[in-house]
Amino acid sequence: MRGIVRLAMAGALALGACAGAAVGAELLLNDPASLVTSSPPALLGPITETGRTGWNCAPERAATAKTAAAAGLPHD
Amino acid sequence: MLTRVVAVASLVALVTATGGVSAQNYSRPTAAPRTTDASALAAQARERLVHERFMRGVAAEERGDWSAAEAEFRSVVSLDPPEPKGSSARYDLALAESHLGRDDAAVALLQDALHRDPRFAAAAANLVVIELRRGNLSAARAAADRYLAFAPDAVLARYARGLAALKAGDLATARDDFRALIGADPSYAAAHYDLALVELRAGRDDAARAELERALELLPSYARARFALGTVLMRDGRKADARLAFDRCAHDAADPALRALAIDLRDRL
Repeated sequence: MRGIVRLAMAGALALGACAGAAVGAELLLNDPASLVTSSPPALLGPITETGRTGWNCAPERAATAKTAAAAGLPHD
Repeated sequence: MLTRVVAVASLVALVTATGGVSAQNYSRPTAAPRTTDASALAAQARERLVHERFMRGVAAEERGDWSAAEAEFRSVVSLDPPEPKGSSARYDLALAESHLGRDDAAVALLQDALHRDPRFAAAAANLVVIELRRGNLSAARAAADRYLAFAPDAVLARYARGLAALKAGDLATARDDFRALIGADPSYAAAHYDLALVELRAGRDDAARAELERALELLPSYARARFALGTVLMRDGRKADARLAFDRCAHDAADPALRALAIDLRDRL
């Protein structure tokens, strides 16, 4: 009996997921604003006691970098 | 006699040589206090405590032990060290608070750090990132504007403000920022993708398609860009091309939700 209930629940969830995907697909086609932007940047890492004295501070260098790779920007 | 002299000379030479090597291998001893003044000694003790807490806090953050880091940096902040240590301690404490899920506290600490050092770029960057992540777009935009004002060439500032503007519907600012980002780093595919989203929301599908194609030239496995291109092609009536785009997206997407959407659209065509 429990097996049948579990199977029915799994089926319902799968149907729900398919319906959600279908609704989502319609929305994405008709409304470009529903396309998500690229990923937000990650938090910059810790700074040591003397990190900001001089130029050997990786987070400060990333925060002022002039290329995406040096700034650690997301790939997608 | 001569043998003894040679032996002693060799021993002296050996001691001198090994003494030199030892001097290179061992750090200098801590300088002895040169004062008996109580307040000066207290200041030295406080400085030493700040140093120890900083070292332990950074080590904790590097191994992801945010609770331990939070305790260490809270202690440093309470000791109120001079700049730049004061703002750095608040930055590190904010990092720990954010990882512990306390973004309100993190934001307040980063604002305090920026009050102490208004050109603290990493603090400005993390403030924008936290506000973006929690969807507070007006605060993210204000923080990004302030960041860009003192770091106009920073691509991270440009990217963050572009995202805040795009999410808030300020297409003109978002377009300017992503174009500036592309000007600074033409090989950055995500900037072309975000600029394409700006153009799509402005109803300029042709400009959007050109940016998406450029993003995919730079990064062929860019699933989000491939998906967006599929939707543009589909609206343009190019069903065969759209089907190919969704099929490739379904192949490349790491995100299961995006893969499911791509498969659904592909199978309808």
